[in-house]
Amino acid sequence: MKKHTEPLLSVRDLNFKFTLRGQVLHALRDISLDVYPGESLAIVGESGSGKSVFVKCLMGLNDLNGYVESGSIEYGGKDLTLLKTDSDWKDIRGSRIAMVLQDPMTSLNPLKTIGWQIEEAVRLHQGLKGAEAKKAVYSILEEVGISEPERRAKQYPHEFSGGMRQRVVIAIAMACRPEILICDEPTTALDVTIQAQILGLIRQMQKKYNLTTIYITHDLGVVANVADRIAVMYAGEIVEVGTSDEVFYDPRHPYTWALLSSLPQLGVKGEPLYSIEGTPPNLFHEVKGDAFAPRNPKALKIDYVKRPPMFAVTATHSARTWLIDPRAPKVDPPEHILALRERGKDLVAKAAAEGTALYGASAPEEETGAAASAAVNEENGSAKGVTARG
Amino acid sequence: MAKYIVKRILHAIFTLLIVITVVFALLRQMPIEGYFNNIDKLTEAQIRVGLTKLGLTRPLPVQIWNYLVQVFHGDLGTSNKFREGYSIAKIVMSKAPISIKLGLLSLAVSLVAGMSMGIMMARSTRSKWKLWDRFGTVFIVIIQAVPSAVYHLLIQLYGSDLLGVSMLFKEENPVSWILPVFSLSIGSIAYYAMWLRRYMVDEANKDYIRLARAKGVPSGRISRQHVFRNAVVPLVQYLPNSILLTLVGSLYVESLYSIPGMGGLLIQVIKLQDNTMVLALVLIYSAISVLGLLLGDIAMGLADPRISFVKKEGAR
Repeated sequence: MKKHTEPLLSVRDLNFKFTLRGQVLHALRDISLDVYPGESLAIVGESGSGKSVFVKCLMGLNDLNGYVESGSIEYGGKDLTLLKTDSDWKDIRGSRIAMVLQDPMTSLNPLKTIGWQIEEAVRLHQGLKGAEAKKAVYSILEEVGISEPERRAKQYPHEFSGGMRQRVVIAIAMACRPEILICDEPTTALDVTIQAQILGLIRQMQKKYNLTTIYITHDLGVVANVADRIAVMYAGEIVEVGTSDEVFYDPRHPYTWALLSSLPQLGVKGEPLYSIEGTPPNLFHEVKGDAFAPRNPKALKIDYVKRPPMFAVTATHSARTWLIDPRAPKVDPPEHILALRERGKDLVAKAAAEGTALYGASAPEEETGAAASAAVNEENGSAKGVTARG
Repeated sequence: MAKYIVKRILHAIFTLLIVITVVFALLRQMPIEGYFNNIDKLTEAQIRVGLTKLGLTRPLPVQIWNYLVQVFHGDLGTSNKFREGYSIAKIVMSKAPISIKLGLLSLAVSLVAGMSMGIMMARSTRSKWKLWDRFGTVFIVIIQAVPSAVYHLLIQLYGSDLLGVSMLFKEENPVSWILPVFSLSIGSIAYYAMWLRRYMVDEANKDYIRLARAKGVPSGRISRQHVFRNAVVPLVQYLPNSILLTLVGSLYVESLYSIPGMGGLLIQVIKLQDNTMVLALVLIYSAISVLGLLLGDIAMGLADPRISFVKKEGAR
């Protein structure tokens, strides 16, 4: 585990707001999160929970009507919240943090050859020119699994399939030689048969270049496959954060319970699929108390009055719910979550006993994710297409 | 590509054949006065002789065929009424250059001014007050909403005062070119600015621009290499047509400054019932339009690699 190491990037009490037609939308509420070197962190949450806004803060890519109200993002000895203009961001965007976007069909310029588009990144970040730059392009293309790179580099995006385009997007990101790679729902727009390949490729790149990866996704199957640590976001705040096993097998926040309950694999055959009642709060108004309380049938009275702080469960696991407060009445999670907890214990024990055998040739640092992914995979044979919808 | 162009040219020729046939047939339904300058003074016999001389007594299909053969040999015929006995080609050649010169000049002005304005408007949509965008929109709305006659007149009245030149055009005097060119271009400036702004704002919100920003491309380069380059493609299609159509001239501006150009020539000869000239002008104008469309499509194909003129196999 790398938890003893210093965080690579450290977000403290970040508040981010947008002004829209005179109204203020509080998109991120007191986000604190550490990212450790070499890990893969997954940020999970339903649409509108602020996960995309959060990672865009790390690269200064939010729309101009958004602004950091308070908080800091410490990275490489700098506070990223103080960077304003494009030239301030020059040393971060692409050079140290790169990004893979959701939809490969639209994230490449349709009028430029893919060679040109990769070369643009090579020139900017590796300082190569002419024939050398071309050579670098070919080797990157080969690295991401595109054969005949010299021919393919001259082709346009429309001559590539979705999966191949996502490879090109990854090639562009890798051409930047970044330290952190942000993958914004990297497989959502892809065919299920391609998803595993792309995740595998990202993981391969991570290992080769010792990348730190941040995944944004609402696909718990992806999370189980790739993540060392998971942060669950709801209504602009992080409600629970922990290692993959902790969040999957010992979830503490009622929202995490609900999210896991909506996994189809955990449902009982014949019963209707679980879905979370209601809708997330409107972030144009200040949220009072626990944001999830109105949708939580087991909400405590205090949930409506006072916002819970982050309670630590273990050194790596914490959740923003009053249930962890010692004074709180005991509220048990739903039965299948308890069952999950039991199975988690077994699997972790088994995984520890068998070493890396559970996940084939996976490296030791992937152990944590391995147990979790095994559990989800067990249910439907593969993790693909396991989607939690809030 | 070559195959496609040849195919398109054949299509174009076919289109022109149909146009000639239809217009010729329609004009033959008109009173035969259109073929004589002084029909009142002619006797029946003289008219018949005249018609025979023009080949108009023969069956209609034969007449059309003969006309086509004549056109194919590069002979557009002679004018009957507009300038009796003059070859139509000569009349057009004497009038077209001035219209083309003015037209190309104003096209250049409107491209440069309109596109700069569009770029500034699009860029300012990302600034706080969007000043350029607001001013530009007001300008565009005024130009689009107010009848062009109004601002043409205003430009002539106040412009000639301001520049201290006469209201009329003189080819030798370069200063007298300013107002007509300005009048001719102001509408297209608004047009180009409006569309370029719109396409640029569209492009700027696309995912690949976000990716380009994420990979650290400086914003100036993004504007030029990604946004502008892609936004200009839809406009490229209309460029050849705009260039060719300068030949037609502008009825209102040319009459306002009494420019001896092509503007309104077609209307004039229709009023005069100069049938041979109507036919020749319709032929010229439709040839221009058809050619413009063809060149537009080719230009578009050159600008956008997604458009391919041949069926491709095994693209993936």
